[in-house]
Amino acid sequence: MGLVDQAEFHFFHFFPYTDLPPDHREHPSLWVDFPNTNYDPATGHELYNRYLSEMLLADKLGYDGLVLNEHHNTQYSMNPAPNLTAAALIPQTKSWISVFGTPPNLGYPNRLAEEYAMLDVMSGGRLRVAFPLGTGMEYWANAVNPATARARFRESIDIILRCWTQDGPQSYAGDFYTYRYLNPWPRPVQQPYPECYIVGTGSSETIELAAELGFGYSVVFIPRAAQLKVFDHFRERLAAHGHDPTPDKVAIGVMAYVAETDARAEEEFLPHVMYFFENALRTTPRYLNPPGYVTVPEFRKRIQAADVHGSANWEDLVAINRIVAGTPEKVADAIAAWIEESGSSRLNLNLTLGDMPNWKVVKNTTLFAEEVIPRLRAKKEAAA
Amino acid sequence: MTGATTVPFERLDLDVHGTPTTVLVAGDPAAPPLVFMHGAGTWHGWGFAERWTDRYRVLIPHHPGYGDSGDLEGLQDVHDLVLHYVELFDQLGLTADVNLAGLSLGGLIAARFAIEQKHRLRRLVLVAPAGLRGRGVAFEDVFRIPPDQLMGRLVHRMDTLVPYLPADPNDVDFTVDRYREMRTTAIMLWEHPFDRVLPRWLGRVDIPTLVVWGEEDRIVPIELARSWVELLPHGTLATFPDAGHLVLDESPEASAVVARFCGTD
Repeated sequence: MGLVDQAEFHFFHFFPYTDLPPDHREHPSLWVDFPNTNYDPATGHELYNRYLSEMLLADKLGYDGLVLNEHHNTQYSMNPAPNLTAAALIPQTKSWISVFGTPPNLGYPNRLAEEYAMLDVMSGGRLRVAFPLGTGMEYWANAVNPATARARFRESIDIILRCWTQDGPQSYAGDFYTYRYLNPWPRPVQQPYPECYIVGTGSSETIELAAELGFGYSVVFIPRAAQLKVFDHFRERLAAHGHDPTPDKVAIGVMAYVAETDARAEEEFLPHVMYFFENALRTTPRYLNPPGYVTVPEFRKRIQAADVHGSANWEDLVAINRIVAGTPEKVADAIAAWIEESGSSRLNLNLTLGDMPNWKVVKNTTLFAEEVIPRLRAKKEAAA
Repeated sequence: MTGATTVPFERLDLDVHGTPTTVLVAGDPAAPPLVFMHGAGTWHGWGFAERWTDRYRVLIPHHPGYGDSGDLEGLQDVHDLVLHYVELFDQLGLTADVNLAGLSLGGLIAARFAIEQKHRLRRLVLVAPAGLRGRGVAFEDVFRIPPDQLMGRLVHRMDTLVPYLPADPNDVDFTVDRYREMRTTAIMLWEHPFDRVLPRWLGRVDIPTLVVWGEEDRIVPIELARSWVELLPHGTLATFPDAGHLVLDESPEASAVVARFCGTD
């Protein structure tokens, strides 16, 4: 019996702001300093309503969960505060709500522990969270030092876990945060706390932290082949720390589009994938790597590596990412293979990407739920 | 990374309370000492300081986290560098009658050092020092300036810098070295670019102090010069035309004025 048996399908929405001005290509970065005069609140209102309806559709179609993330100063995401969006979704949904997530070091960790506990209590225990360090861009947008971001990240997670695992009131004397009475109300429904992931880019430091804490690990912005090595290393480290390296500990991202034929799927999906890589992700090396965000040796590695932010061709993208467009059979086969090769039972699905219109999101999300997921389940039965 | 020099600087490699520290030294060991604290980059050479070596024992330490010096473990703010220099001055026997000059970030460090250690100093020279927030001056700092504009904005004439720049603008070693120096600067100044000690305590620095500024400075605005002079009990201002932030590199006259100032009775 394969891993497909245990697979969970989570619908991930970036909530992009897609009404870009005609001259947007003159901006080398659509993050950090892309003027917010380009944001029209009336359009934003329509998009929020539309995107929430797409999340609700996924919930009704039976996806295992809905996934949100956080970015700042950018058209890439209209969720600088994803917990607000999660709160809007909770009373209207039944599935898991994954906030994947707020960088815990950008604010005050007790406050994030409170917010996540609120969401968990409001949803009756349907919250999952991930702790990302946040892209380099977030440190240009927020009042937090990129050069101490990693130490602050670690301390923030330590505080949040203390909030959730030790009875209050406690006190805490850290390098960055001091609490005289750490005693947050409410406490989460899920005991001792909701399932947690760390989101990283494969650095050994974040892998080690996730392994030590027994968290799951999700990796973004690095090629598929490199991810597989990261996952192997992560499972080794999990086991070394005495945690069972079960398939749910690794989450993989998949960009998929389903249509009547392979040609039609590619034709309908490709422009939005290209929009995503060329526009939504477009930023500068400076914003990706603020001073001290990575170590000096890591910086040397990065400036000599290929840039995935803002330039792309389809063949390269398909070769290095998990991107598939085709008939239900083709998509199901590709996904089954990715599940097996990565040893992951958690799929974060990008069925909407970039400037995809609502009709395509509805079509793709529905076809995937009705034609792809059952095929994967059938593989499970055939194998059993 | 000592730049193109014609006067040979001797290189001292010291251990300063656990931090490997490089100090460039030139001039007669018996001459009065002139210590120069560099700015946030160590790449643009020490030509201006060569002119000082006929009258002074010139010492140019690389700050921890810059140039050839190692990182200071646990570095948090400028005060860590003040303490680093207390230790270094002790090691070098620089206990009295020291002339201290600092450029930009080095000016901030020198001013903070002077507030606490003025008894060691004879003259203080602050060259386009960083750290004061100007009234009515729009906030901008070295982090906000895009790197492709930074080099050009450091100087009034780009040819000043050309000898020190790599032939390939994407030179990996050069880029990595600059990243390391910006990282160190970020550790100290990202969250608090303006010093909270200076406005309250500069009044302690009751030694003759020369404030030097290039009139075309496009990094630290010359409007701030007046604030420095007002806060310093014995501060005088010297400005130089046709020179940018790296005024000592661009104006031989500025470099000569510094030498004369330190030599006055």
